[in-house]
Amino acid sequence: MTASETDQQLVQRAQRGDLRAFDLLVLKYQGRIAALVGRYVSDSSEVEDVTQEAFIRAYRAIDKFRGDSAFYTWLYRIAANAAKNYLVSRLRRPGADATIEDAEVGQQVELLVDVGTPEAVAMGEELAAVVEDALAALPEELRAALILREFEGLSYDDIAAVLDCPVGTVRSRIFRAREAIDQRVKQQMSGDS
Amino acid sequence: MTANERDFETLSAVMDGEAGELELRRVLDSTSSDPALRATWRRQQMVRELLQTRSISQPNIEVSSAVTEALTSGKNALRNPLWSMAVAASVTMAVVLGGQQLLVPKNSVMQRAVVSDVVGGVVSVLGAQPVQASLGARSLPVAGRQVDSTDNERREVAAMYERLAQDRYRNLGRRHASAAAQTHPAPYIFYVRAPAASGEKSPLQ
Repeated sequence: MTASETDQQLVQRAQRGDLRAFDLLVLKYQGRIAALVGRYVSDSSEVEDVTQEAFIRAYRAIDKFRGDSAFYTWLYRIAANAAKNYLVSRLRRPGADATIEDAEVGQQVELLVDVGTPEAVAMGEELAAVVEDALAALPEELRAALILREFEGLSYDDIAAVLDCPVGTVRSRIFRAREAIDQRVKQQMSGDS
Repeated sequence: MTANERDFETLSAVMDGEAGELELRRVLDSTSSDPALRATWRRQQMVRELLQTRSISQPNIEVSSAVTEALTSGKNALRNPLWSMAVAASVTMAVVLGGQQLLVPKNSVMQRAVVSDVVGGVVSVLGAQPVQASLGARSLPVAGRQVDSTDNERREVAAMYERLAQDRYRNLGRRHASAAAQTHPAPYIFYVRAPAASGEKSPLQ
């Protein structure tokens, strides 16, 4: 199983009306979708509104998702359309501050990778440094398991074979590695560091 | 390991697609009631993004609660079975009442108090036109008469029915005698009824 299969599991449950499963997908992708929307819309409250609208549209159309592509690819297309529609509706509004150039830029945005605002980039760099430090500080056995999982994309079975240990141990090591890193990230995000 | 720690470990396995269906269900139950579990899921997704791309997008955005709220309220309005039943009941009632209004003519006697014009001759049924039993003859125009008819009118109508009944009785007698004469050597039946047929006092009187 892979992480995209996790998405598939959650999507299937959402298709059966399980909002909790869809909530985990929202938590997982809201940052990336907001970054995409931020390429079209500059105001942060509008970014939030359009991001929210994109997820609502996605949930209402989730029965149409057949799994031919990754869930994020499908979601990305919905969010891009929501942002473009929002931009066009703003242009039609009397006294609109958006310009035709904004809409044209919006049309080209889909070709770009979704990157955040300068503040988000700066915050991301800080967090990246914290994560790197935390990873380096992990005991060797925990670090090896996490690296094989996150960088090599190996399954628990394959990691168990590589590290010559039971699958349950792999699962436990990866969890403990993440927990240790999460403690540092939590401190950083709450400004306690 | 406590139950709470087990939830966090299962959450980690869910991230990697290594949790079974039952574990996933348990995590979903827990995340809906444990904000710490949700926050951990979110942070660990960010850490994964950082590890894999060395960048992170919009770490401060939070729309999940608003999305869930919007979807929950929308869902209640659209998918609640009680709403569906209420709508179905309303439609049924509208159809039944509307149908009754359409089927009953505007000047119908149903909208007024209707009783029989001829005592014992017409049965009043709600929503139905009163019809006089005609014994095979054409129907008689008695519908729509109202309570305020005078006694004289009633008597005239009763007399009219009586005359009609006598005429029909005589006609039947003649036809019967004619048929009996052709098929029987002695048309005795006609003679039995001969007094009534010839205008004498009939048994109806």
